Amino acid sequence: MLPFSIDIRPGLPIAEQVLFAVKKAVVTGQMRPGDKFPSVRLLSQELRINPNTAHKVVAQLVEEGVLVTTPAVGSVIAERALGDRRARAELLGPELERAIVEAKKLGLSVEDVQAAVAAHWRKLSDHTKP
Amino acid sequence: MNAIETTGLNCRFRQLEAVHSLDLTVPAGSVYALLGPNGAGKSTTIKMLMNLLRPTGGTARVLGVDSQKLGPAEFARIGYVAETIDLPEWMTVGQFLNYCRPFYKKWDIELEKTLLQKFDLPPSRKIKHLSRGMRMKTLLLSVLAYRPDLLVLDEPFSGLDPVVRDDFIRGVLEVSSLGNWTVFVSSHDIEEVERLADWVGLIENGKLKLAEKLDSLQQRFRRIEITRIAANASPVKKPAHWYGYEEAGTLTRFVETRYNPDETEKLCAEIFPGSNITAQPLPLREIYLALARGDSAPQPSSALR
Repeated sequence: MLPFSIDIRPGLPIAEQVLFAVKKAVVTGQMRPGDKFPSVRLLSQELRINPNTAHKVVAQLVEEGVLVTTPAVGSVIAERALGDRRARAELLGPELERAIVEAKKLGLSVEDVQAAVAAHWRKLSDHTKP
Repeated sequence: MNAIETTGLNCRFRQLEAVHSLDLTVPAGSVYALLGPNGAGKSTTIKMLMNLLRPTGGTARVLGVDSQKLGPAEFARIGYVAETIDLPEWMTVGQFLNYCRPFYKKWDIELEKTLLQKFDLPPSRKIKHLSRGMRMKTLLLSVLAYRPDLLVLDEPFSGLDPVVRDDFIRGVLEVSSLGNWTVFVSSHDIEEVERLADWVGLIENGKLKLAEKLDSLQQRFRRIEITRIAANASPVKKPAHWYGYEEAGTLTRFVETRYNPDETEKLCAEIFPGSNITAQPLPLREIYLALARGDSAPQPSSALR
């Protein structure tokens, strides 16, 4: 079993989908710094994806500083992976894009959307307060 | 290095030209999916590659060797699985594997055991009493066990239930290795290959219509939807690379085959000033349909399934 949740959908490049799932798992604490990350082989077998794609995902995660590789151990989640807020905010990209597209279709302005986001934020914060 | 390379490959059966001047390049290390409707020439191509059928023109090189000169040394590095392959019906699964083993220096007995278990195959059952799925798994096991450099699968999924398909893909990935391991798979079943393939070839009426990296296909295809403020007064002059163009009321929909965020938006804004534009990525199945229909407007297709 893989230590992160993913549901691959046709359409978007698979590497992108896996990257997103891994980063999300790191940010939400599903995977913690120091945790072992699955090998290319296991990734490819569990997700039924091309080993080349799995390799690309791991290489990209290393490059972005999410993973560190040590020869004997394999890959582990880096300390302070995705620590800064900017990196986290970037994960919202696809969701934001979808919302903005819909907003444009509805003929809304940036200000309208910002106000709507703020209102929703308050509503959800109120609900989660004890 | 290319695992497979054909130039002007032809195959003619009397009046019927099954494969027409095929130039196919399968890079070593790729998982290449050859897609196309039934009768497009996929199996004929593979039979020529495996030296089971003599081309009526052109050449094919497999692992660097002319396909008509493929010998035991090459076949020990190639795993070929097709439904049409005859199995010795009177043997049990175990006897069949005992029979295959001595032919291959690289036969991995541990892998054979792992796969027997993974595939849930009964070693003492006679091949003639196996189900279709079990036959395919037996055949796959007998080629995976020697870890071939090139795996050629001809319509491996047709008529298999989902569990067997999954076993099959797991088995293939079991022997996968980075670098020089190449898979060439023909199929009309797109969902099964979308996750695995990194190259896609599209064959129709014996001709190769397209050969491209899956990445780049996914980059350049988008479904565009345009909502206009008012219906266009004059008919739209649309570029030739917009496929399946449709209009209804203020909504316009088509498939952009040369998508580039800035340029597509600019072009759309020129043709449809002041309207809203959205671009959605397409699953491989939709890309395939768009290509198969080409420039014409969409209509119910019987090309698939």
